[in-house]
Amino acid sequence: MLPIDQNTILNFLFYSFFYLLFAVPLTLSYRTTKVINFAHANFITYGAYVAVFLNGLLGNKSLLLASLLAFLVSGTLAIVSYFFVFKPLEKRGASMSLIMISSMGLWIMYNYLLYMLADIAHFFSGVNFVSYGRILYTDVPEITIGSLRLSSGFIAVCATAVGMSLFFYIFLNKTSLGKAMRAVADNPVLAEISGIQRDKVITFTWLITGGVVGVGGAIWTSFSGTVTPTTGDAMILQVFTIAFIGGLVSLLRTGIGAFVIALIENVGISLLNAWFGVPTSFRTFLTFVALLVILIAFPPLGAAGGLPFRYRKKRGGAK
Amino acid sequence: MIDVVGFLISWLTFLGIYGILAISLNFESGTSGVTNFGKAFFYGLGAYIGASLTVYLFLLLNNIDVSKVSPFDVEGIVYLGQFATKNPLLNIGLFILSLLLAFIVAGIVGYLLSYPIIRVGPAFVGFTLLSTGELFRIFVLHYKPLGESKGIMSIPHPFAWIPNPTVRTALYLAVVLGFLALTYFVFNRIYNSPLGRTLRAVRDDEVAALCLGKHVPKLKATVLFIGSGFAGIAGVLMAFYLGSISPTYDMIGPPITFNVWAMIILGGMGNLTGSILGAIIFTFLDRLLIFVTPNLGITVFSPDYIRGFLVGFLIVAVLLFRPQGILKEGKIETLAWKVYEEEVKGEKSG
Repeated sequence: MLPIDQNTILNFLFYSFFYLLFAVPLTLSYRTTKVINFAHANFITYGAYVAVFLNGLLGNKSLLLASLLAFLVSGTLAIVSYFFVFKPLEKRGASMSLIMISSMGLWIMYNYLLYMLADIAHFFSGVNFVSYGRILYTDVPEITIGSLRLSSGFIAVCATAVGMSLFFYIFLNKTSLGKAMRAVADNPVLAEISGIQRDKVITFTWLITGGVVGVGGAIWTSFSGTVTPTTGDAMILQVFTIAFIGGLVSLLRTGIGAFVIALIENVGISLLNAWFGVPTSFRTFLTFVALLVILIAFPPLGAAGGLPFRYRKKRGGAK
Repeated sequence: MIDVVGFLISWLTFLGIYGILAISLNFESGTSGVTNFGKAFFYGLGAYIGASLTVYLFLLLNNIDVSKVSPFDVEGIVYLGQFATKNPLLNIGLFILSLLLAFIVAGIVGYLLSYPIIRVGPAFVGFTLLSTGELFRIFVLHYKPLGESKGIMSIPHPFAWIPNPTVRTALYLAVVLGFLALTYFVFNRIYNSPLGRTLRAVRDDEVAALCLGKHVPKLKATVLFIGSGFAGIAGVLMAFYLGSISPTYDMIGPPITFNVWAMIILGGMGNLTGSILGAIIFTFLDRLLIFVTPNLGITVFSPDYIRGFLVGFLIVAVLLFRPQGILKEGKIETLAWKVYEEEVKGEKSG
């Protein structure tokens, strides 16, 4: 008898959908803009904190409103990062490592900025924002099927993740802007010669990236026990590992990776716990082992500026 | 009234430790192109190896059964405090043993970690090392023999047998500065050697270096071995200086890495003297802020946040407006260059 209960399965699905929301935009932003963005963690956290501030300061109970504002705030953050940091660096011809280091600088900056904002809000309202409890929203219904009770957070994240996947599929395959985005991802110079406004496409990519991730962060507040300014940082290992499974190019493989990592993290650790007595606090180690296995066994060759030191028979693959 | 001597000693000790980290990171990242975001990992690894080894061996060599008296209990800490002043030779011997072991273990871990990451791009290198550091922290936080969240307290100071605290810290400062000089000497020699020039070639164009027959993964693994070993030494020095170590975010977490990165970017990537300069400026401001901030009276939010914000802002601003840092990357000083310059000067004057 497998020691897996209903809760583990539900958690697995929960995490799968969240990872889908966080990792797919990361892959999309990397392959279009060629920026390894460590500030991706901030998009999650800022999305979550938009919801937290709305709830704590204004008493907002609507997840829809919180998500819309989180989309705007995180999207703006992404566009601001692009216009003031990544774009000037790219124009100067800075190497990929330098842009990555600058994104790390942004990550630190945004993180402490949020701490300051939380403290200022605490000073004026007296509510503790540095560790904020779960928020109960009223505008998403709970569904009960038989003995299975699906919380409103589950409904929201499930609907959003499925909606995002459908949106990306239709957007990238059917609309001209989506096709332009794929063209820029494949060959920026050729795309520009063909009359695609590269700058516009990239700005739009940042908006979507930041926005979708921010919405994920806002929904996270209805699931996670506590929200802290390090919410996004705690998830960065999983999100990047999933993006690496996709080789930072393939959205489909990234999506599959989200389910794989969620499975390893939730079902895997409960099996190990039952059989070998591994403490559940070591769940992150499984993700790390998965990361090392990916890097050794299926290295994303040539992606992210790497050299194809080891050649494979079939090169290229799904894009 | 600010204690000037105390301030100088604490500043220079921090400068020495951060200087070692900055020079080794600059060698890894500025000269060889290995974007190491896991400096805090090797530093923390060194600190924990040194601290745990010293604490356990100290009790064992004083005939105390470690299985009964844990060095993390009050009893063990009291024993450690009692024995610390008795035997100077034991203190110093354990200190040297910790340094050696930390160098070797951190170096080997760095070498092994290079296997999965060197063949892929800089993003994977940086990210994997960063997450290794966080995982190490989580591991220590939940691992009982290393003291869990309490950390290791009451590490016997190598000069604990000297009664005067000022002399004790000054002597320790001399040791730290000695190690800083050694680090600078070693890295300066490697930097100007044929190996250093090869590494600069690898950093500038990996494909070209590969085509010219340089074994790029092996070279990078060597760099990680040396750099990580020195980071381990810095960790041991910090653990013995503070006398206690705990797996908090600020002590062995990412902020250490970020500080060191800010130093080398400010000082100039690829210039070893620049990274010392960066460390001087940075640690001076840091210590000054620690002495000054309690008097500022900011109550709305913690002044620590401003400091953290400024670190990030500094990295971004320097990269945007002065990417080469304060000191530019200089040319290599080889023997041939010196001879050539002397001859050219001699011809001009003669």
